[in-house]
Amino acid sequence: MAVSIEKLGKPAVAVVTGKFVDIARTRAKKSGMPNARLVFVPHPVSGKTPQQHQAYVAGKDPISGTIVFQEIVDDLTKPLTDDDRKTGFVETKPAPRLIGPETPENLQRVFLASGWTDYLPIVLPTEQKVKDMLKGTSLSPDEVVGKMAAGAFEPWEFTVEKVAVNAVMAGAKPDYFPVILAIAASGVSSLYNSPDSLARTVVVNGPVREEIGMNFEVGAMGPFSQANATIGRAWTLISKNLGNAGIIGETYTGSQGNSLNFNNIVIAENEARSPWVPLSVQKGFKAGESVISIFSGLGIQPGQGAKGGGATKPAFDRQFSSILDNFTGYFGALIVCDPLVAKALKAQGYDTKEKLSEWLQKNTQISVADYKEENFVEQYDAPRAKQGVEPFASWFKLAPTSRIPRFTSPSDINIVVTGGEILAVFQAGNLRYVTSVAVDKWR
Amino acid sequence: MKIRMTCLLVAALLATITTGYAQEGKITVLNPKGTPPPISLAPIATRPASLEGKTVYFVDIKYEGGASLLHAIMDSFSQNVPKANLVFREKSGSFDQEDTNLWAEIKQKADAVVLAVGH
Repeated sequence: MAVSIEKLGKPAVAVVTGKFVDIARTRAKKSGMPNARLVFVPHPVSGKTPQQHQAYVAGKDPISGTIVFQEIVDDLTKPLTDDDRKTGFVETKPAPRLIGPETPENLQRVFLASGWTDYLPIVLPTEQKVKDMLKGTSLSPDEVVGKMAAGAFEPWEFTVEKVAVNAVMAGAKPDYFPVILAIAASGVSSLYNSPDSLARTVVVNGPVREEIGMNFEVGAMGPFSQANATIGRAWTLISKNLGNAGIIGETYTGSQGNSLNFNNIVIAENEARSPWVPLSVQKGFKAGESVISIFSGLGIQPGQGAKGGGATKPAFDRQFSSILDNFTGYFGALIVCDPLVAKALKAQGYDTKEKLSEWLQKNTQISVADYKEENFVEQYDAPRAKQGVEPFASWFKLAPTSRIPRFTSPSDINIVVTGGEILAVFQAGNLRYVTSVAVDKWR
Repeated sequence: MKIRMTCLLVAALLATITTGYAQEGKITVLNPKGTPPPISLAPIATRPASLEGKTVYFVDIKYEGGASLLHAIMDSFSQNVPKANLVFREKSGSFDQEDTNLWAEIKQKADAVVLAVGH
């Protein structure tokens, strides 16, 4: 943001904690102002007292060693250098299209050392393998698929051939390629620059699921299908290599990381066993159309610990609500039901997914006091409340003991069905719907 | 016998070529990495010689602890640059959103800006 201020013609300095040196410098550089003035204070700033903050200001910048306050004043007053006044364009030459000839062992090492993998061995993308992958689509190798970024960075543009290279590396078959292209075309990186170590999910609907052998029966969300496994893995490799995501310190700051990022949560909906319409139809696509839908959030958890009727007489609506009670409303919810659960709910009277979402939104509540203490509420909802955006503005005016819905709208709660009807179980993700993309365009 | 000798010779030759290739054992692969877009350089704003008598904005980007840190910086300004006019503002929207209204106010009224990201 300091760069935005400088571009207004006003001197600016950004004060950042020492943990974010690389990312702050990278963002300044990518924003066209590599010399933007940055002052660092010890990490963290949050959770410290005003006295400790005063000590930070009177103390030394942990990076430069200069007294923080003096550095701020100097950065706002010292004359500029010739470098500071530079204009024009900085272009990066495209890397050579081919690498080698080299031994497969050495190439694996090169890919690993270059950060082009997920740190598991990859299938080396030989010209023949990439050519074979390209047979999975009618599109030209040099056609632009889209753009991708791992957050507030400059998006990178990429072609069909580049996606094919990464799909080969993931171990995907050419048949899967249209699904992988549709995911890439969404522009959503599977790795996102957030200290919260976010996870991504893709839901696949339509005939393509069966055509390419996706698993939506027993073990649907586990490592039991080449299609499910490699489509998800390809997404992460594409994000790293074509969206410049996952560079620790520069474009990735997930404090703990997330094991789901290896191949993401890939869900093929079990449409035949579901009593409800597929997710893609809810999102406005025609029945029978192949579609991918993207979700983003914190992760997913099993429903076996839920409260509501026990195991013998489960009331699944109440069980869902008890799990959702621990979610942050900002990231919404994606409930993944085994078909047995979905059928039980249908028998209970929920003849549409929408009815269930409405009940859950109405009955999953939080006190205003607890709501205001939530991390994401402070970051996202509080600023919107101050701008007068509803319902946040009204919620912030209520008494601390008042009860409000945890989720802003029923549409924040999505429901999909997958699994093999071995047991009436479900999983619930603190995952928000982002977008859907039709697959057929990419065939 | 002559045919058998020829076959053995071809087999040996093929074996030599194959072995030679295996020893070579090198392949060519495609580069998976994309290319970053060009970056348009922007000049840094001209600095005043001093902040005395100037209006300095302190903008909280909205991340935990940022406001308190900014107030600590403002305290130091009050003590060390007493003639500066200090203005505290909280940026609207979430931490990663630009605030065009505040930017317009800054363009009109501020001489310098200190932003704190918090965290």
